[in-house]
Amino acid sequence: MASKGLRKVVAMSDTSFDISVDQGEPDKKTRSLLRIGGRFWSWVWFILGAIYFLVPLFATLRHSLRMERDVLGFKAYERAFEDPSFLETFLLSNALAVATILCSTLLIVPTAYWIRLRLPQARRIAEFITLLPFVIPAIILVFGLIRTYSTHFTIPFTDIELFQPLTTTKFGTYALITAGYMVLAMPYMYRSVDTGMRVVDIRTLTEAAQSLGAGWFTIITQVILPNVRSALLSGALLTFAIVVGEVTLASFLGVDAFGPYLFLIGQHKAYEPAALSFVTFLMTWFAMGMIQFVTGGQGQATGAH
Amino acid sequence: MSYLSLENVTKQFGDVVVVDKFNLGIEKGEFVSFLGPSGCGKTTTLRMVAGFELPTSGRITLDGVDITDKAPNQRNVGMIFQAYALFPNMTVAQNIGFGLRIRKMNSTDVHARVDEMLSLVNLEKHANKYPYQLSGGQQQRVSLARALAIRPEVLLLDEPLSALDAKIRVSLRQEIRAIQRRLGITAIFVTHDQEEALSISDRIVVMNVGEMEQVGSPFEIYNFPKTQFVANFVGSLNNADAEVVDPANGILAMDGVHFKTAEEDFSSRKKGDKVKISVRPERFSFAVEPKKDNVIDCTIESITFLGAVVRIQIKIGNTSFNMDTFNNPFLELPAIGAKEQVMCSKEAVLVL
Ligand SMILES: Nc1ncnc2c1ncn2[C@@H]1O[C@H](COP(=O)(O)OP(=O)(O)OP(=O)(O)O)[C@@H](O)[C@H]1O
Ligand SMILES: [Mg+2]
Repeated sequence: MASKGLRKVVAMSDTSFDISVDQGEPDKKTRSLLRIGGRFWSWVWFILGAIYFLVPLFATLRHSLRMERDVLGFKAYERAFEDPSFLETFLLSNALAVATILCSTLLIVPTAYWIRLRLPQARRIAEFITLLPFVIPAIILVFGLIRTYSTHFTIPFTDIELFQPLTTTKFGTYALITAGYMVLAMPYMYRSVDTGMRVVDIRTLTEAAQSLGAGWFTIITQVILPNVRSALLSGALLTFAIVVGEVTLASFLGVDAFGPYLFLIGQHKAYEPAALSFVTFLMTWFAMGMIQFVTGGQGQATGAH
Repeated sequence: MSYLSLENVTKQFGDVVVVDKFNLGIEKGEFVSFLGPSGCGKTTTLRMVAGFELPTSGRITLDGVDITDKAPNQRNVGMIFQAYALFPNMTVAQNIGFGLRIRKMNSTDVHARVDEMLSLVNLEKHANKYPYQLSGGQQQRVSLARALAIRPEVLLLDEPLSALDAKIRVSLRQEIRAIQRRLGITAIFVTHDQEEALSISDRIVVMNVGEMEQVGSPFEIYNFPKTQFVANFVGSLNNADAEVVDPANGILAMDGVHFKTAEEDFSSRKKGDKVKISVRPERFSFAVEPKKDNVIDCTIESITFLGAVVRIQIKIGNTSFNMDTFNNPFLELPAIGAKEQVMCSKEAVLVL
C-alpha cells in the first residue's frame, strides 16, 4: 500500500515531523517505534559505511608503524621524510596546486558569473564541458596535450615560429601540466562556484551595486568574490587534494611531482609508502575540516532569510 | 517638461511587446505607483528607468538630460528590490556607505552620512550587524537607507513590501511615504496591491498588459475609473449587462429594472444599445429617501461579516449584487430572503 511505503520513507529519513497520511494513521506508539526503528537503521548504515572507509585506513596505519620487527614505531615516517626527494616533489606539487587554483579562479569565477548574469542559456553547455574530465580519462588528456604541444608552433601558412614546443622546457611543461590540472579541477571549481552564486543571488546583488554606482571591477572584487569566497574555497581545497595526489599527467609529462614519487617508492619500498599514504590522508582530512570550518562559519552569513 | 519623463517607451523581448508606447511625466517630489496584475510590465518599465533594460524605442529624460542609453551606474538612481539585495558580506553601516565609498567620499563624511541615514530609518542600534541578523522589515529599511544615502534623483521601489508580513507591510509603507515626503524625493513604487497603491501615492498608473489604462490620483482612480479594467482591478465592483432605454435622461434597464446614471456621454448612446454597468458595493444603502435617483426592490440573499464592514448579497432582477455597509452594534440587519429596498445615487452607476 502506498501509504505504508510513504511512512517507511519518512521513518528512514529520520524526520521527527508528523506527516498526515490519508488512511490508516498509525497511533502514537507505533509511530515512535517506527521512528526509533528508522534511527536504528540509519546508524547501522552509517557504521557499515564508516567501517568500509576506516578499515583500509587503519590497516595502512598499522602497516606503516611496523617497520621494525615486533615494535610499533615511527621509523617508516622518519625514513620517508629523510629522503630529499620527498620534500622536493611535495613542494613542487604544492606550488602546482596553488598555481592551478589561482588560474582556475581567474577562469571560472568570471565565466560562471557571466553565465549566471547574462547567458543563462549557456549553463547547460558549461555544465557539460566542466563534466568532461569525469568521462574522458586523464591518460587521453595527457596524450592530447603532448601531441599538440610537443611540436613547433607557427602562425598558420607561414614559417614564423610563435613558441617552441612547450614540452621541451621546464617552464613550458609546468604551464602545460597546470593547464591539465585546471581541466581536472573544473568539475569541482565550476560547480561549487556556480552553486555559491545561486545561493547569494548574484544577479540582484550586481544590480544593487550598479544602481549605487559601482563598475564591473568593484562589483567583482567587493561584492561577488567575498560572497562566493566559501564556495571558492571548498572548490580550491578539493583541487588541492586532486593535484597533490595526481599521477597520470605528472608521469607522462615527466614532472617530478608528489604523485609519481609516491608511486615510485610504492614499487621499491614496503613501509614508507604506507606512511606517506597515511600522511596524505591526514592532509586531505585536514583540508576537509578546513572546508567545514570556513563554510560553517560563513554559511549563516550567506544564507538568505 | 516633467522632471522625469518617459516618451513612447517601448520594450520588446523577441517578438513580445512587454511595454507599449509608454508615456508618463513625473514631477519632482512626486510619489507615483505602478499598479497592475502580474506580468503587465511594471518591473520592466522600472528597470528601463534604472538602466537595467534598454528600451527598444522611445526616450527617457531625467531633469532635462536624456538618460535612455546611460549605464545604470552612471545614473543617479536609487533602487529597492523585493528581496532586499543587501550585500551579505557587509555590515549594515558598510552596506549604507557602499555607494558613498564608490563616489570617493572621504571617510568622515561617509561616517556622518551613514549615521544620518541610520537615524532616518531608526536602525542606529544595528549599525554593526550583518544582514542575516536582521528581520525582513529591518533589512528593507537598510536597503532604503542605502539607496537614499547617495541622494538619488529618483527612488525606484519594486514591490519592496511583498516579502513582509501584513502588519510590517502597512507600517513600513507609511514610513517610506513619510521619509519620501520629508526628503522631497521623486519616487516610483511598483506594486500589485491596490490598497498599497491607493494609500501612499500622489498618482497611480494603472497598467494592463504593457499598456497604461489610466493615470490619476487615488481618488480619481477609485471613484472615476475610466475603463472596465481599472474599475475591476481597483476596489471591488458589481458588474451587470444592461440596455439603454432613454439616452436623454440617462435611463437604462437591467433585467427589466430601471437605473438612472449620471454618465457624461450617455446621451450620445442609442436606445436599445447593450452596455455594461458597474456599481461599487459601498454605494448601495437601504432606502430611506424615496426621492433618491435609484430606489430598487431587491431580495436579501446572504449576509457576511467582514469585521468593520458587513457584506450583504442582494438580488436585483435576476442578478446578484454585493452591498457593503459599515458594521455597528446597533445595526438592524434584514432577514435572509426578506424583500427590501436599496438605493444608490445616479453617479454611482458607472457605464463603462
Ligand atoms: N528578460 C526577459 N526576457 C523575456 N521576457 C521577459 C523578460 N523580462 C520580463 N519578461 C516578460 O515581460 C512581461 C512583463 O514582465 P514584468 O516583470 O515587467 O512584469 P511585472 O508587471 O513586474 O509582473 P509581477 O507583478 O509579476 O512582478 C512578462 O510576461 C515577462 O515574462
Ligand atoms: Mg515585477
